Amino acid sequence: MCLAIPAEVTKILPDEMAVVSIDGVSKEISIALIENLAIGDYVIIHVGYALTKIDPEEARRTLDLLCEFSAERQEAVQ
Amino acid sequence: MSLGFRNEIGITVWLAGCSIADVAILPRSRPPVMRLFAGRPPSSVLPVLPRLFSLCAVAQQVAYLSAVEAARGEDAAAETVQRRVTAVVAERLTELVRGLFVGQLALDGTGTAAVRALMQAATVLGRVASKGARGGAMHEAVSQIRSALIALWNQPPEPGRAGAATPLASFDADALSFPAVEQSFLSVADDPDVVVRLLTEGASFSGAPELHGRIPETGVWARRSGREQSLPLDAGPAERLKARVAEVARLLAWLDDAERDPEVGVIASYSLGNRRGAAAVECARGRLYHAMELDDENRIVRFEFLAPTEWNFHARGPLVRSLKGSLLAAGQRGQDAVRTLVGSFDPCVGFSLNFHEAGCA
Repeated sequence: MCLAIPAEVTKILPDEMAVVSIDGVSKEISIALIENLAIGDYVIIHVGYALTKIDPEEARRTLDLLCEFSAERQEAVQ
Repeated sequence: MSLGFRNEIGITVWLAGCSIADVAILPRSRPPVMRLFAGRPPSSVLPVLPRLFSLCAVAQQVAYLSAVEAARGEDAAAETVQRRVTAVVAERLTELVRGLFVGQLALDGTGTAAVRALMQAATVLGRVASKGARGGAMHEAVSQIRSALIALWNQPPEPGRAGAATPLASFDADALSFPAVEQSFLSVADDPDVVVRLLTEGASFSGAPELHGRIPETGVWARRSGREQSLPLDAGPAERLKARVAEVARLLAWLDDAERDPEVGVIASYSLGNRRGAAAVECARGRLYHAMELDDENRIVRFEFLAPTEWNFHARGPLVRSLKGSLLAAGQRGQDAVRTLVGSFDPCVGFSLNFHEAGCA
């Protein structure tokens, strides 16, 4: 199943587009399906679209959890 | 911070002239849930699942809870099971509908508003379903979805009919022709074998599942095979997307009518003895499995899960079998047809698709 990695909105673009930061990587996505997004909001992305806006604290907890997973994966392959 | 996850499937298609010579699949990273969940009480893991799997959170939580109960030798009350089935079906409907539109359409102003209304209606449906509400509240939620679909399609969702706004409208049926391949489908009857092997073989099974030489398909097309005596020989994108529209219509009808019997096997639990248990949940993509073992102090000793994607996108699985040997139109036309076929196997998987000429370095 797809992991839901939170993305932070870093720039709002014309035509209902935005730049988000996912794990430090910038990506341009459509925000056409969500109203009233602002810089600093966190969203869940799917196939290039922001699907849902999530609470920043929830986003932080999710990113912490994913970091734990990442550390576990790296330990497992070493 | 670098998470280092590969969160989409990489598909490489090797072309020999106008035919597909080979297909290579690079799977997504699988989160090492076993290593993190081991030693924890089951209740501490439940809130983690929606954070990890937000698109299929209900199916993940229901599979998990059902597996925990099975490991403990407990049976959920009939009312609880019914509420879970309703919630799983509502989430499946949402994923199927989303997969028909999001990422498929170049949304203009009108289309955007209509898809946004549809997604909002799906959110309402999810809330109603999670409370186990049927009757008036469910009828209202279903009506909102129907209205949103009519706004997009100019017609209600009906089996065999797909609206102008679906990817079907622009699908070029002549751009890809398939070899005749034998179809094999995962079903409830496979559950006992799957869950035992999941616990005994762990990641070596869940990363590349195979049932005595079979790598069956799961999802919409497989569910259709369970309902109909004969399937069309053409298992191409058009037929698969028609099956998805038909299922949307069927699920809307089921959610709207509390008196109907649910599908067989939407949720199935398996108590395996010695504090081991498993469950299967039929979500949009297909059959999702969770299996676990608890110790005497009710902590997780083992936890394994198997996503439907692992069957459909197996290196020798249904997608690869469908593509290998296919003839495709030259250039972008053929590549677009392959992309549509891949998307028709799964309503929401993220994937990258690359084409190479066989023999070229």
